[in-house]
Amino acid sequence: MRCYHYCKSFALPIQIQGASEVSIRVSGQGVAGALALVLSSMLAACGGGGGDSASSSNLPTETTLSAQAQAQAQLGERIFSDVTLSASGRQSCASCHVEVNGHAPDNALSAQLGGALLDQQGSRNTPSINYLSFNTSFHFESDGTPTGGFFWDGRAASLQAQAREPFLQAKEMANASVADLIGRVSRAAYADEFKQLFGDDIFSRPDDAFDRLTLALQAYQREDTGFRNFTSKYDEFLRGNVALSDQEMRGLALFNNPTKGNCQACHPSAKSADGSFPLFTDFTYDNLGVPRNAELTQNDDASYYDLGLCARTDLPNRPDLCGAFKVPSLRNVAIRHAFFHNGRFKSLKDVVTFYVQRDTNPEKWYPLNADGSVHKFDDLPVEYHANVNTTEVPYNRQPGDAPALGDAEVDDVIAFLQTLTDGYRR
Amino acid sequence: MQPSRPLPRRLARQSLVVLGIALAAGAASAQTATEAELARKLDQLAAELAAVKAQLAQIQKERAAAPVAAAAASSPAAPTAAAPPSTAVAVAAPAPAASSEPATVLSAYGEINYNRPTRASENTQADIRRFVLGYQHRFNEKTKVVTELEVEHAVSSSEDPGEVEVEQAYVERQFTPTWAARAGLFLIPAGLLNENHEPTAYYGVERNFVETAIIPSTWREGGLQIVGSFDNGLTAQFGVTTSFDLTKWDATSTEGRESPLGSIHQEMALAKARHLAVFGALNWRGVPGLLLGGSLFTGNATHAQAVVQSRVTLWDLHARWTPGRWDLSGLYSRGTISNTDALNAPLVGNTTLIPKSFDGWYLQGAYKVWSSEDYALSPFLRWEQFNTARSYADLGPGLTPDAAATERVITFGANLQITPQIVVKADYQRFRENKDLNRVDLGLGWSF
Repeated sequence: MRCYHYCKSFALPIQIQGASEVSIRVSGQGVAGALALVLSSMLAACGGGGGDSASSSNLPTETTLSAQAQAQAQLGERIFSDVTLSASGRQSCASCHVEVNGHAPDNALSAQLGGALLDQQGSRNTPSINYLSFNTSFHFESDGTPTGGFFWDGRAASLQAQAREPFLQAKEMANASVADLIGRVSRAAYADEFKQLFGDDIFSRPDDAFDRLTLALQAYQREDTGFRNFTSKYDEFLRGNVALSDQEMRGLALFNNPTKGNCQACHPSAKSADGSFPLFTDFTYDNLGVPRNAELTQNDDASYYDLGLCARTDLPNRPDLCGAFKVPSLRNVAIRHAFFHNGRFKSLKDVVTFYVQRDTNPEKWYPLNADGSVHKFDDLPVEYHANVNTTEVPYNRQPGDAPALGDAEVDDVIAFLQTLTDGYRR
Repeated sequence: MQPSRPLPRRLARQSLVVLGIALAAGAASAQTATEAELARKLDQLAAELAAVKAQLAQIQKERAAAPVAAAAASSPAAPTAAAPPSTAVAVAAPAPAASSEPATVLSAYGEINYNRPTRASENTQADIRRFVLGYQHRFNEKTKVVTELEVEHAVSSSEDPGEVEVEQAYVERQFTPTWAARAGLFLIPAGLLNENHEPTAYYGVERNFVETAIIPSTWREGGLQIVGSFDNGLTAQFGVTTSFDLTKWDATSTEGRESPLGSIHQEMALAKARHLAVFGALNWRGVPGLLLGGSLFTGNATHAQAVVQSRVTLWDLHARWTPGRWDLSGLYSRGTISNTDALNAPLVGNTTLIPKSFDGWYLQGAYKVWSSEDYALSPFLRWEQFNTARSYADLGPGLTPDAAATERVITFGANLQITPQIVVKADYQRFRENKDLNRVDLGLGWSF
C-alpha cells in the first residue's frame, strides 16, 4: 500500500536522523548499507509505502514494520475493539467503525447511540475512517480553500488527536475523565503489553497513558492495510485486471463529466502521476445545503443549527464557512446506510438524486413555508444561505431546468459507485 | 572588450571570438537551423574579421618591430569561406595559449510581450515572457558546455505565476571535423523553431501555434546526441533521450487540449526514465538560401506505471527559402499516441482525454521592405492550421470524445530589427474557431 501523504512530510527528518545515528554507531561496515538498514526500519512507520518519488527516490521502496510500530499497532487493534473502555461496557471504536462496512456503522441510524446506557444520540453521522491515513491536518490552501483535518469539521489535527474525543464524549464512550479511562485500561487484558511498551509506571501518569493509548490507535489505523485496502473492482480496473460493465463505464463518464455529475471535482477518480490510486476525496469542504434531519434529537430545538466548520472554536470569525463540512471519500460508499453529516439520506439513489435535483426540484427535499413556498436550505440560518454552493455543476440550476442527470443516469452513477467497494472478487 | 586592455590581448580575444564563430558556423552548424541565420552570422563574421584586420594592420604599423609568435592555433573545424585558414591562424597567433585558454561567453535573450484580445480587452496582459541567461564555456577547442537558465513571467515563487527552468545544459565534444556528440539536457531538433527559439529568430510576437501546440517548443530532453555536419550541406542529428510522461496526463485540465505533448513533457525535472526515446533529424542546406529538413521522435511514455505501454511519436517536415528579400517557410508536424483506449478508460467523461493523433501546418512569408544600417523592416503573413485532438481511440458509443475542431489562425504584422540582436514586433492574430482569442500583440525581444 502507498503512504504518500505522511511519508512525504516525514521522510526527510527520518533520513537525517538515521544518517547521524549511523555515523556514530557503525564502524567497520559500509555506511551506505547500514544507512539503508536504519532507514528501512525507521521508514517502517510509513507502512512500507514509498510512493513519493520526489523525496524518497534513493530510499527502499518496500520495508517491513519496525518491531515498535508493529507492537503499537497490535496493541491499538486490541484497544480498538475493547468494549470495556466505555462507560456502558458495551461500546468500542469498532462498534461504530465496523470493518466489514468500511469501518463505518452497520446500521442506518443518522447518529449512533452512546453514553452509559447507550441511549444518547450523537450529533453527527459517523464517518468511515478508512483511507484517512492519507489525510493531512487542517489548513487553508494558498487560494483559501479549507483542507484536511479529521472529523466532519476537521478540528482534530491527526488520527491520534481524533482518537481522543470518543472516549470522553458523554454521548459516546462516556468515560468520566482521563483517569477513569486509564483506570479501565489498567485493568484490561492487554495492560501488561501496554506497560511493556510504555513503561511500568505508565498508568500512574494518566495523561501520558492517554497519549500512548491514542498513539497505539493511530499506529493501528496507519499500519493495518484493512484501513486502506485498494481492493475494489475499480482498483482492479485501474490495474487492468478487469473491465467495468457498460453501465459502470457510463456511470464513470457521468461521474467525471464536468457538465453532468462533475463529482470528480471534489471526489477525484484518476490515478496520480506518482502512481497512487485515487482516494475519491480531496479532503476539502463544501456547503451542500443538506436538508434538516428530524431524526436528530438536537434538531428538536428549532433554533439549533449544526454550522460545521464555523462552529469550531478556532474559527469564530469565519461566517463564510458556516454550513461547510468535509468531503468524505466515496470508497465503500455503496455499503453505507446513512449519508451526509447529518445522516439525512438513507440510500445512494436519494443522495445522487438530491445532488442533481436540489435546485431544479427543491420541493422534493425541503419543507414548505406557510405561504406554500419552499423552505430551501432549511438546516441553515437564512444569513448563511449564500454560503451554499450554487455555482458549480450540478447545482447551477433553477426550478424548471432539467437536472444535470436523468433518472437512468443516476442509476449509472450508482452502478459506478458500487465498484468502489473493497474486497472485490472476480 | 575593455578599451583599457592592451591591444595584443584585446586582439587575441577578438580573434577567439572570430574563431569561435567560425567553429560554430562550421563544425557545430547543427545549431544553425536556417540558411538565413547562417548568412547573417557569416556577414557578422566578415565584418568583425575586417575590423580585426584593420586593427592588426594598425598594430603592425605601430609596433613594426614586435615579433609575431609562430605558434599556430590548430583548428579541427573546416574554416568557412569568411574566415580562411591563413587569416584565422595568423590572427590567433598573438595569444600563445589560445588553444587551451578557457573561453567563457555569456549569452542571453529576452521577450517582453503585450497581448490585447480584441473581443475581451479585459484580458489584456503585459508580460516578461522569457528572460534567459546562458553561458558557453569552451574547455578546449574540441569541448564545450552550453547552458541556459530561463525565468518565465518575471517572478517565480509559490505565490507567483513564474517558472525558473534549466533550458539547456549539455557538454559537446567535437570528435572529427564532421562528427560531434552532445550529452546532457539539449533541445530536440524538431521543426524550424525549437532549436532557434530566440525572439530575433522568428516572425511575430508569439511563437507560431504549430511549433508550440504540436511541437512543444521549447522542447528539451536529457540524453545523448550525435551531430554530423557534412560538406554537402547536410546536417544529421540523432540520439537517445528521456521521453514524455503519460502518467501525468491531467484529464480535468485543459492543458492537454492546448498542447498534448506540452502537458506531459518532463524537462528533466526528476524525469521518469524507465522508458527512453530515440530521435533523428536531417537538415539540408546544399543550395544557398534553401533549407529542407525533417525530424522524427518516438518512445514509450508510460514508464511501466500504467496498464499498457504507450508510444508517443512526433514527426515533422519543414522547408525555408530565402531568395533575396524574401523569407518563405512551411512546416507540417503530426503526433500520435498509441493504446490511448486503455489509458483513457478510467478518464472517460473528463474534459481532456488523451488524443490518438494531433497535427498542424503553416505557411509563412516575410519580405524585407526596408533596411538602413542595422535597421530592417520585414512585414510577414502566416497561415496556420492545427488540431490538438485530431482523433481519439474508440471507447464505445457515448464515451468516445468528438475530435476537436481544427483551429485556423492568420497572423500578419512586422518585425522591425533595430540591430541584428534587437527586434520590435507587432502583429494581429485572427482565429477562425475561437474568435475570442483574436488579439493584437506587441513585443520587444533581444538576443546575443
